[in-house]
Amino acid sequence: MKFKDYYKILGVEPNSELKTIKTAYRKLARKYHPDVSEAKEAEEKFKEVAEAYAVLKDKKKRAEYDEIRQYGRHGQQFTPPPGWQSAHNGAGQSGFTYSSSDFSGSDMSDFFESLFGQSRGRQRPPYENNFAQRGQDVEIEMPVFLEDTLKQETKTVAYEMPHYDVNGQPLTSIKKNLQVKIPKGVEDNARIRVKGQGAPGIGEAPSGDLYLHIRLVPHPFFNVEGHNLNITVPIAPWEAALGTQVLVPTLSGKIKLSIPKNSQSGQRLRIKGRGLPSKIKQGDLFASLKIVMPPTASQTNSEIIALWKKMSESIDFDPRSVWSKAS
Amino acid sequence: MRTTLLLQITTEEICRLSNINIDTMVEIVEHGIIQPKGGDNLKHQPDSWLFDPELIGTAKKAIRLHRDLDIDWAGIALAIELLDELDTLRNENLVLKRCLDHLSND
Repeated sequence: MKFKDYYKILGVEPNSELKTIKTAYRKLARKYHPDVSEAKEAEEKFKEVAEAYAVLKDKKKRAEYDEIRQYGRHGQQFTPPPGWQSAHNGAGQSGFTYSSSDFSGSDMSDFFESLFGQSRGRQRPPYENNFAQRGQDVEIEMPVFLEDTLKQETKTVAYEMPHYDVNGQPLTSIKKNLQVKIPKGVEDNARIRVKGQGAPGIGEAPSGDLYLHIRLVPHPFFNVEGHNLNITVPIAPWEAALGTQVLVPTLSGKIKLSIPKNSQSGQRLRIKGRGLPSKIKQGDLFASLKIVMPPTASQTNSEIIALWKKMSESIDFDPRSVWSKAS
Repeated sequence: MRTTLLLQITTEEICRLSNINIDTMVEIVEHGIIQPKGGDNLKHQPDSWLFDPELIGTAKKAIRLHRDLDIDWAGIALAIELLDELDTLRNENLVLKRCLDHLSND
């Protein structure tokens, strides 16, 4: 078990006043709160900061901690001195309000537990009602391929969830495999609730729910824009000029797309009904044309160079006419 | 196994599922942090409100911010709005970046 220097965690001096500690906590909590921060280690950092504040804001706990602090240094291995026992038994009643039901994993470090006793599963903020003994909700990320949103898909999810006995003591976590149906037309960032498949409740209380957080996997060809898809279609200059038919991939196989003559780079062609399905309507696929030049090798051929030359002489075209108008 | 997709849930259910008591829920609704379904719902009694289940997440987030950051409900309403906007902009940015990638290199 590593010693935690709560003062260092909050970035304050050991003789700081409660006001200073509170301000330091607030600043760090805003910075690392998992609902606000995008940083990867935000949740861990936030828990650490919350734990430090839970101890230092409480006069009695802070005094006990100051005593124990003489024996340890931040990040080093630590065992409480023999005979040391917290005067606080049932740390949960002391007003610390970090609920275990919201963020996954255990809330307090082993270091905290060893100093101030078992805290898990007991404390409840005052606004949480009698139903609070219900099992924890579990949220898992569910990557979904665009192709899989076209119809209802059945997927197997494997997850682990915490488990507590009637006294709030943690038991070995439960591993679970579950078949879930991912509805047709599911959207990015949607959360699907699977009732009663979260952690078991404490005592007689009902289980929590499982939430599947849907994340659409980025596709190599298609960009998602609401229910519509975009694809870039590269075409040769002569294809743009003369028009042609090209095979365009869609989520459900290739289709033939007619490129009208005199097409422009950047022009968008709508392919009806080939986007993503949704509750309201079926989305469309938009093909954006992009004129690309042939590789240089083919242009060193003298015949081809002659063709380009002929074009430049016979076509009256200034692609930068916008500039001359402006000046 | 079952998947339950509910179209709407009652006030009692949203309170239970997000571990919030009714008074706090009314406060959250009155600040516009989450809204019951339909038009002018606030003229009705809380026990006749119906919610989109997606709002459970928002309600929980509001509670966490209130508890952990000591922000009042008006501040939370603003914070959640701004966070949502940030999320939308980040997603939009990502999509545009990908479009740009497709257009510029092969």
